[in-house]
Amino acid sequence: MLPQEEFEEIINDASKRIESDIAWDEDEDHSPAVEFRAEIASETGYPLFVKGSYNPLTEKLTYALIHRGAGRIYALDLGQDHRNPNGQLVGEKHKHRWDENVRDKDAYVPTDITAPATEPVNVWQQFCAEARITHNGAMKSPPPTQLDLFF
Amino acid sequence: MVSPCTEIANTVGELYECSSINGFVRIRTPYLYPDGDVIDLYLQEKDGQITLTDLGDTLRWLRMQTVTRQKTDKQEALIRDICLTLGIEQYRGMLLLRVKQNEPLASAITRLAQATIRVSDLWFTFRTRAFESIQEEVAEFLSELKIPFTQNEKVRGRSGRTRTIDFHTRHPRQSAFIEVLSTGSRAAANAKVDSIFATWSDTHYLKVGQNDIKFVSLFDDTLDIWTADNFQFLEGISDVAYWSRPEQFAELVAPKS
Repeated sequence: MLPQEEFEEIINDASKRIESDIAWDEDEDHSPAVEFRAEIASETGYPLFVKGSYNPLTEKLTYALIHRGAGRIYALDLGQDHRNPNGQLVGEKHKHRWDENVRDKDAYVPTDITAPATEPVNVWQQFCAEARITHNGAMKSPPPTQLDLFF
Repeated sequence: MVSPCTEIANTVGELYECSSINGFVRIRTPYLYPDGDVIDLYLQEKDGQITLTDLGDTLRWLRMQTVTRQKTDKQEALIRDICLTLGIEQYRGMLLLRVKQNEPLASAITRLAQATIRVSDLWFTFRTRAFESIQEEVAEFLSELKIPFTQNEKVRGRSGRTRTIDFHTRHPRQSAFIEVLSTGSRAAANAKVDSIFATWSDTHYLKVGQNDIKFVSLFDDTLDIWTADNFQFLEGISDVAYWSRPEQFAELVAPKS
C-alpha cells in the first residue's frame, strides 16, 4: 500500500517529465477507443507512467497516473459519472486522487479542467499542469474513428 | 401503504437514466465499476434489431487500471467464461448482445450489466491490489503443470545462515530451486538482485555431486523495473527465466528430454 506521504511527494514533485511525443493508437482489442502510454522520468525516480484513453463514441476521456507498485494513483475522467463511497454522485468531470484509506475510490470535481472530453489535447495540457508533469514533446490529436459501427 | 413489491416495481426503473449520444441511447445504470465509476450501456436499433453494448467501456476501464500492457491468458479465459454464462458476444473489445424478439428489454439490460460488472471485477485479480501475489501465480502455474514443489523451504547455506527458497521443484528429470524477483520499485530492484545472488552463492555447494539442482532466478518482467545488468548479474550464477515467457520457464524446471 502506497503511504500517503509518498503519494504527496510524488504528486508535488515538479521534476516529473515526459521526454517524447505522444501518439494515440488502437488498443489490444481494437475497440472504438484509442490509447497511449508514456513513461515519466523524474529526479526522484519513482516508477511511474501515464496512460490515456479516449472513446469518441461514448465521449469518454481518461488520463491516469500509474505507479508500478501501487497501480492507479491519480486519474482524470471526463464523460464518466462517479459515485463516492459516501454515496455522493460526483459528476461526469472528476478526478481520482490516492488516499491510503480508500485508495483511488474517492473523486472530486477539478475546477482547473475546463476543456471538454472532445478536446483531448487541450485537456492533456490542463492535466499535466495540475499533475506537475512537464511534457517536452507534442501530443497528436486522436485519429478519426468510424462512428457507424456494424454490429 | 404501498407494499414493498409494488414499490420495487414502481421505482427500480427510476434508477436508470436515458439520454442520446452519437446515434446511441445511453443508459446510465445504478451499477458501479470497482472504483465507483458509473456503468453506462448503449442501445442502438437498426432495421428492427435492437443491439445493447458497452461500446468497449468495460475493457477500457479495466485497461486504465493496469500496469501491464495486455490482459493475461487467465484474464482472457475468465472473460470468455463470463460471456458464455451470460450469452454475451465480444466484438472489437465491446461486450454486446442482440435483444431477441421475445426478450424483455429490462432482462437484456440486466444481463449485459451483470457481464460488465463481472468483467470489471477482474480488477480484483490484479497484483497491485495485493489479492494475488506473484508467488501465488507461480504456485498455480506449477500445479497446473503437475510439477511437485515445496514452497519457502529453509536451506542451510555454507555460511551457516538459513536461506529461504521460494520454490523447490522435483521433476523426474530435474530438481530446481526457484527464487522469484518481483518489486514495484526500481530503487529496490538492485537490492533484490543482490539478495538472490547471495542466496545462490551461499547454497552453491548443493549443486555439486549427484544432487544436480538447477538454480532458477525468475524475473517478474510484467513490470518494466529491471535492467540488463540485473539479468546478466544473475546469469553468471543461475538460469534466468522471465514470467512473461512461461513456456521457457516450464522447460527449465520440467525439461521434456
